[in-house]
Parts: sequence; structure tokens; C-alpha cells
Amino acid sequence: MSVPIIDITDLSKFYGKARGIEHINLGIDEGEIFGFIGPNGAGKSTTIRILMNMIFPTSGSARIMGMDVIKDTKKIKSYVGYVPSDANAYSSMGVHEFLSYCIRFYQIRNGEERISELSELFELDLMRKIADLSMGNRKKVSIVQSMLHKPKLLILDEPTTGLDPLMQSVFFELLRSENKKGMTVLFSSHILSEVQMLCKRVAIIKEGKIIQLEDIENLRKKQLKKVSIEFSDHLNKERFSIPGLESVISGPNNIMYFMYSGNINELTGFVAGMKIINLTIEEPSLDEIFLHYYKN
Amino acid sequence: MNRNLFLKEMRKNAASLIIWMIVITLLITLTMSVYRTFMENQSKIVGMLSVIPKGALQFKGISNFNDLLSVLGFYAANNVIYMMVLGSIFSIVLSSNILLKEEYNKTAEYLLTRPLTRSNIFLSKLSVISVNIFLLNLVTSLAGFICMELVKTGPFSIEAFFVLSLYTLLLNLLFGAIGLFTSTLVKRAKPVTTFSIGLVLIFYFIFTISKITPGISKIGYLSPFRYANVDAINPSYAINLWNLTYFIGLSLLLTIISYRIYNRKDIYT
Repeated sequence: MSVPIIDITDLSKFYGKARGIEHINLGIDEGEIFGFIGPNGAGKSTTIRILMNMIFPTSGSARIMGMDVIKDTKKIKSYVGYVPSDANAYSSMGVHEFLSYCIRFYQIRNGEERISELSELFELDLMRKIADLSMGNRKKVSIVQSMLHKPKLLILDEPTTGLDPLMQSVFFELLRSENKKGMTVLFSSHILSEVQMLCKRVAIIKEGKIIQLEDIENLRKKQLKKVSIEFSDHLNKERFSIPGLESVISGPNNIMYFMYSGNINELTGFVAGMKIINLTIEEPSLDEIFLHYYKN
Repeated sequence: MNRNLFLKEMRKNAASLIIWMIVITLLITLTMSVYRTFMENQSKIVGMLSVIPKGALQFKGISNFNDLLSVLGFYAANNVIYMMVLGSIFSIVLSSNILLKEEYNKTAEYLLTRPLTRSNIFLSKLSVISVNIFLLNLVTSLAGFICMELVKTGPFSIEAFFVLSLYTLLLNLLFGAIGLFTSTLVKRAKPVTTFSIGLVLIFYFIFTISKITPGISKIGYLSPFRYANVDAINPSYAINLWNLTYFIGLSLLLTIISYRIYNRKDIYT
């Protein structure tokens, strides 16, 4: 069995008494595009900052490519690219000056070519000052600097904030292409749809704990169904109760919406004696599944 | 140390360094330019100075009015305020912000994700502080020396001038270490410039008060200015081993503590 490229064991971080993350265990395989999902404050950035040795864990350990993130941080970082959630580069520098400064940290021969190649791809004006750039353009600079040295592992913390849909598409295409060449990606986001577009596996983090680690497809195939029933007469919400029924909403025109995680036969059996005009059973979207996990 | 980081920081601080060099050099030049006039009217000026309380002159390192008649004594008296106080403000402002600004400008996320250890970062920034302080002292001392050569009316001791310059450099380096230490204690990133300048002025105030008030002269030992002897005209003027140990020892101690804190510090952005 191969060693995971990111191996997190029982990792916890507390800021005084405040919780950052608690007992996180996570393994990400080489060559994966792995999604890390959770709302703001769930612990995504805390986990990533420990991996990048910006903060130290309270307990537990994390390894990247088999190396300890604290002891071997210098070696690890020569293989890792990172896009922070805030794209605040050195505002007094020009774009080209900043990218040249970044690339000089690595032993790269064709640095200038790489800067030109990526800047052209993202339509980035190298002559401008970073202070004069829009949020979206700063994000592009941040993405370009992370990929200059052709990292083996790319860690992205909310990378699409500020990017327009066209650039998002260019960025995702680049990620897919680099992934095919062997680059592993850890993609942290609170937007499930963009994770769905790229990732095969996803970890859902809630209040500092990983609550679900799943293949995207499996997540979809979970028994959770989105159901809507239109009754001919008004039906009291309280009378509609069977195991597996969640998030029941009474809509207008005697329509009832809910999520159902039980046996479909039991549901159809339960409603068989009722006067129904229409019954719809659908696959929920990933966002709806995500919300379901969060509410529970 | 990382060369790339060092050069980038040197370039970034170059404008500030040059401005401070120009300001201090101008102040020294302006002050020294009145020395000839001072000498031509010495009897009147010594008469005027005689009405000033002795203690008020002592804090400037003047133990005798006649000290001012020597070009080195004149320079030393003014060197205190320009090179020691202003140089220390430059040093502490630079050192207290050089690590911290990466946090409050949120650029630490770029710096700390490069193939560097915390030690590499700390040592590179420490080198920038040391080189900047050294260059400021070199240029301003050289300016002082040239001014003295131009306006002198008699010979002055080069050795005493060297000792005075060394004390100034050591004092500036100590404030550099104090600034670095202060910045590592700040948990949440915010600029500490005002606090740092305040610290230099408080130490200078303590030193001044202790000099002019004999009853509380001992509190002067709390201030680093107390250990930088500016009595350059004194025939026995030389580097004092205890003072040298104080400056080097305290600077090293604060730097080592700062290094250890920075190596284990959570960096927030």
C-alpha cells in the first residue's frame, strides 16, 4: 500500500480554550484531487496552516510525502505550492518583480519562461503594480506564484474567490491538466459545486471535526432522496411522520417537500392511502446533501 | 540565511535608510557648522552657559563648559541627541516591524510557504537589521568625522572618536534587539511603531532625569543610554569592559530569546 501524500493523524489545535480543529485523521493519496469542504470557521484553514507550518498543532501529527510538517518544513515546501484565501501579496512590488522574487526561492532554470507561460494563460499584466490590481487579478497572481515551480502537491485555500467564471474555467482546466501529469491537489472550499467539478473524494469538516469522508459519487448515491408530494387536500405536517423523514416543509397548494433517507417502499406504502395528485422523488444536489450533513 | 530574502528586504528598506542617513547627516553638519562661530564667541557663550544648571549640561555628557571648546566635546554633546536617539529610533522601528509586518500585511502566507525554515527567515531579517544599523552608523560617523576635520581648531583624539562611534553603534544595535524582542511578543499582528518610538523616548527620559536629579541618579541604570559613555573629552575615555559586556550580552540575549520565540510562534494573518 502506498504512503498517502498527506497523512494527518489525530491532529488538534486549540487557540487557548477556543477550538480550532479536534482529532482530525485524514489521508490523501498521491495523484488525487481532494476536496475539503466546510463553512467559514469550520477548521479548513487551521488544518492547512498546520500543514504549511504557519501554526503549530496542540497535539497529533501531520506528514507530507512521508516528512514531518514541522521538522522537514523546508524540504516539503520545495515540493508544495500554496494559494492562500487572502490574496495579499507585497503591494509595493510589481507583478513581475513579485513572481521573479518567488521563483528565486527554487532551483529553476527556465523561470522567466514559466512566468510568461502562466501569466499569458491567466491574462495577467506583468507590468502593473500589485497595489493597483483588482481582487480577481491579485488572486491570479496568487495562483501563478503557487505553480511556478511545478509543485507535486498544490494546496488551495478558497482559491476561486474573486475569479470570474471564465478564469475559474481556465484555472480548473490547468488543475486537471497538471493533475494528469501527477500533481496532487488539496482543494479547500465552502462551495460544493466547484469541488464537485474537480474532486473525486471529499472530506466534510464541521466545528473542527471531520464528519464525512467520502467519494463524491458515493455521496450522491447515499439513500438520501429529495421528495415532493402534492396532496388534493390540506394535510397537517404533524400527521406526516415516518422514520427517515427530515426537513419537512409545507409549501403552497398543499405541496409538501422533505428529505427522505428511509426505504422508498415504506414511504410509498405510507402515502398509499392518501389522496395524492403528484409525487416526485429526486436525487438531491450536492449542496442539499452538504446542508443535510450540517443540519444533522 | 536566505540571500533572496535578504536582498529583497535590503531593497525595500533602502529608501528609509537613505532618508535617515540624510536627516542625521544634515543635523550633524548644521550643528558642526556653528562650531567656528561658537569658538569665535567662546567667552560670551561660556558666560551664557554658566547660568545653565550644571546637571542640565551633564545629561549631554558635558562635565565641564570647557569640554565644548574642543571639537570632539562639541560633537559628542550633539552626537547624543542625533546619532544615539535618532539612530535608536531608526533601529527599533526597523526591527520591531521587520517580522511583524509580514503578519499584519498578510504576506506571511507567501513567505512562510517558501522552502525556508523559520531560522532562515529570522537570520535573513536579523542580517538586514544589522547591516542597516551598521550602514547608518558608518555614514553618519563618517559625516561627523569629516565635519570635525573641516571645522577643528586643533587636533582631536581619533581613538576617542572611535570609542564614541562604537558606543553609538552598540546602543543602536541594542535597540534593534529590543525591537525584535518586542515584535515576537505581539500575539495578534498589529504595527508597534508608536510603542517602539515611545520606548526609546522613555529610556532617554529616564536617563535624562537621572542625570539632572542627583537624588534619583540610580534609576538611570534602567536605561541603555546610561551605559553609552559620551564623555569623550575625558583623558581616560576608553571602552569600558562592563558597558561593552552589557551591550553585547543584552543584545545577544534578547536576540536569542526572540529567535526561540519566533521558531515556535503561531503566525496569524
